[in-house]
Amino acid sequence: MPDHALRNGLDIPIVGRASGEPVVLDAPGTVAFCPTEFKGIVPRLNVREGDVIERGAPLFHAKAAHEMQFLSPVTGRVKEVRRGHRRVITDLVIEVTDANAPGVQYAAVDLGDAKAVRAALLERGQWGAFRTRPLDNIPKADATPQAIVVAATETGPLMPGADVLIGSGDAEALAAGLKALASLGPVHLTLPPGSNLGGSAGGATTHNFSGPHPAGDPAVQVNLLCPPRGAGQVWYCRAWDVVEMGKVLLGGSFPNQRIYAAVGAGVASPRFVKTTMGSPLTHIVGATKGDKLRWIRGSVLTGQAVDSERWVSHFRRAVHVLPDEVESEILGWALPMFGTWSFFRTYLKGFTGSSSPVDMRPGVYGGERAMVPIGVYHKVVVSPDILPEFLFKSIVANDLEEAIQLGLLDMTREEAALCTYICPSKIEFGELLDQGLAQYEKEAS
Amino acid sequence: MKHLIESQFDKYRHLFVEGGKLHWAWPLFEGQETFFLTPRHKTKTGAHVRDRMDMKRLMIFVLYALAPAILLGAYNIGLQGAINEGVANPSVIDSILRGVVSMLPVVITSYAAGGLAELVFCIVRKHEINEGFLVTAMLFPLTLPPTIPLWMVAVGIIFGVVIGKEVFGGVGMNILNPALTARAFVFFTYPAAISGAGVWDVGGKDLLSTGAVIDGYTGATPLLAASSGPAGANAAQLIHDAGWSYTDLALGFIPGSMGEVSSVAAALGAVFLIVTGIASWRIIVGAVAGLLVTAAVLNGFAGPDSVAMMSLPPHYHLVMGGFAFGAVFMATDPCSAAVTPMGRLIYGFLIGVLCVLVRVVNPAYPEGMMLAILFMNVFAPLIDYFIVQRSTRRRAARMATA
Repeated sequence: MPDHALRNGLDIPIVGRASGEPVVLDAPGTVAFCPTEFKGIVPRLNVREGDVIERGAPLFHAKAAHEMQFLSPVTGRVKEVRRGHRRVITDLVIEVTDANAPGVQYAAVDLGDAKAVRAALLERGQWGAFRTRPLDNIPKADATPQAIVVAATETGPLMPGADVLIGSGDAEALAAGLKALASLGPVHLTLPPGSNLGGSAGGATTHNFSGPHPAGDPAVQVNLLCPPRGAGQVWYCRAWDVVEMGKVLLGGSFPNQRIYAAVGAGVASPRFVKTTMGSPLTHIVGATKGDKLRWIRGSVLTGQAVDSERWVSHFRRAVHVLPDEVESEILGWALPMFGTWSFFRTYLKGFTGSSSPVDMRPGVYGGERAMVPIGVYHKVVVSPDILPEFLFKSIVANDLEEAIQLGLLDMTREEAALCTYICPSKIEFGELLDQGLAQYEKEAS
Repeated sequence: MKHLIESQFDKYRHLFVEGGKLHWAWPLFEGQETFFLTPRHKTKTGAHVRDRMDMKRLMIFVLYALAPAILLGAYNIGLQGAINEGVANPSVIDSILRGVVSMLPVVITSYAAGGLAELVFCIVRKHEINEGFLVTAMLFPLTLPPTIPLWMVAVGIIFGVVIGKEVFGGVGMNILNPALTARAFVFFTYPAAISGAGVWDVGGKDLLSTGAVIDGYTGATPLLAASSGPAGANAAQLIHDAGWSYTDLALGFIPGSMGEVSSVAAALGAVFLIVTGIASWRIIVGAVAGLLVTAAVLNGFAGPDSVAMMSLPPHYHLVMGGFAFGAVFMATDPCSAAVTPMGRLIYGFLIGVLCVLVRVVNPAYPEGMMLAILFMNVFAPLIDYFIVQRSTRRRAARMATA
């Protein structure tokens, strides 16, 4: 079992880690899908407002491939189709009418039959769990991967990992899912230290990944294990999503119970919950602390800030509630600031390497400046042969060809977000990466 | 206290924001507010939380690192003045005070004139004040002799800020170190005020003109003393004959620029900058290695017909002139140095090599650190180019279809 012990990277020590056994919640009044989360597809609705829908029946499908379906997790009524800017569908809200209805029943699929596996994953609402390298899009329905990386690792700040999300009863489903994926391409299963999930690996190659974030990020792992060659694609997904795949392939009702983490200083008691997928954020979080709060679907690094009245992410198994107020400090730039945590050794806690959790606020803490390359960015970038200073300068200069040579397609969003986090010039590297990739996609099509 | 300051800024903010009467002066308002208070604005996109580290802290830490150089420099100005007047064993306090008195007007002029140029550019170009200026305006005076006329300081720093930095777009865009650009300007425009034997001591000029110089005192720097010796002479011996021990050279108790005489102070600054992660150790280590190796090689060629400097041992080169100060505070300017880790080692090494070559091989200038750094500033992008090429070739090989 090859070991990847990464040294570079950064675990941001933020307060509000969830703990304990998952709390089982009652079914919520509504659940919702956010189709804009499904990057790379254009949604076409199968339902209209007011329609009654069964658990496991299609809600919408991809415009490019009718067979790529996304299913209702519950039996209920389509309450609202919310649209945003340019009539993009932001939320498909379903009122839950029967929380325990079994809904559509699936037959078991022959896990070795590539064609049947592909058809089942597409029709049973599982295709959206795959992402491609490069670009992190949902793969096309007929695409073939050079390899599939299944990550049981998670190193994002306060994000729940396999130890929480994959229960002891899921071993069979995980093994089934991995076996099915093997019919689509060679599978690599990446494991955190001390994991016993290797027993479900079957024919998949297993790799141990340890170290600070982004060691657990599957896109980074693709770069380290099996980067895409030529014009090909490598897919990645999370091991807990493969468990869901295994369940629908083994047959029965559509699996709609998921575990989420409610984390952050804005949550009264950070916890794990087990509830219906697509639940309202407030249902998952419970009681909050403080007046002004920022609700984030996912982690503080790459998560999306949304209105508290919305619903949990389809993919990101955490809700981070961050107090949304920033305090200033007198002459903070010039004083020793012994109590302040920083990645930099100009603060005592950065020097001693303290990792005790810190109550962080969403302040920028500095003015935006041109890049002053003091040689820090490569300390959080672990993908090989990326010189962040040069890559981002080429994106700023709109030199797409140069940016591609410098690794535009290899750079991952988690790494760009870490660069943003540490940047003393307060540069938005995530935005720059998106800008570069958008330009690439525009010119490639 | 904090709320009082906050409320004062909040009270007048409306005048300076978009649409306010004094909107043109926003950089000034913003600069003052963020001087007193850490910024309060929130993240909008990207990572929701950010590290506390910012440019202001980066730059102030360079100033902290300069403290030993400033203190020892001030002491040395007083010390040299006293030696010049024939006073034996002047008190430390008196020497420092005397040094501060001659240093302060130069520093104030540098900050005032440079700050004005910086502010005008901020207002015209509508960007926030670049705090890199705090370092530039301190580094520049430290590389000047204490007798420098103040108007030259003003002209020099304005040239450095405008031509060395702002015309390229400000801190981060500059290809030359602004402080060294300023010094090079003064060096080539007013050579008599910045080099030679008569400029290094506060008391020197008057004493020279009245002819009351004590016996054996020349006012030359050790480098000048060594380089003006006859061919085939032992350079180290020349320096000892002029009355300086190796300890004097290392501590900086010699005539020289205000802040760059003491290699020990520069070394203390280097430790601080490397420990806090601000300066690249690769550049400093590279420069020291380049200097020692080149000096050792040249020693091998020293003979009865070669110039005296050829025989100067490497460890003398290390502590003389502006090498240590330049290697620690000037060469490590991240904007004008090479960026890649390997590139930084090469960049530093070549600075060391060039410094010695200018000192020894070039008969025109006894000191070569300024020119070595400026020259390598220009070549830093080329060094990076080759390193970047190597990395992109590796990527291309990995991505190629097997």
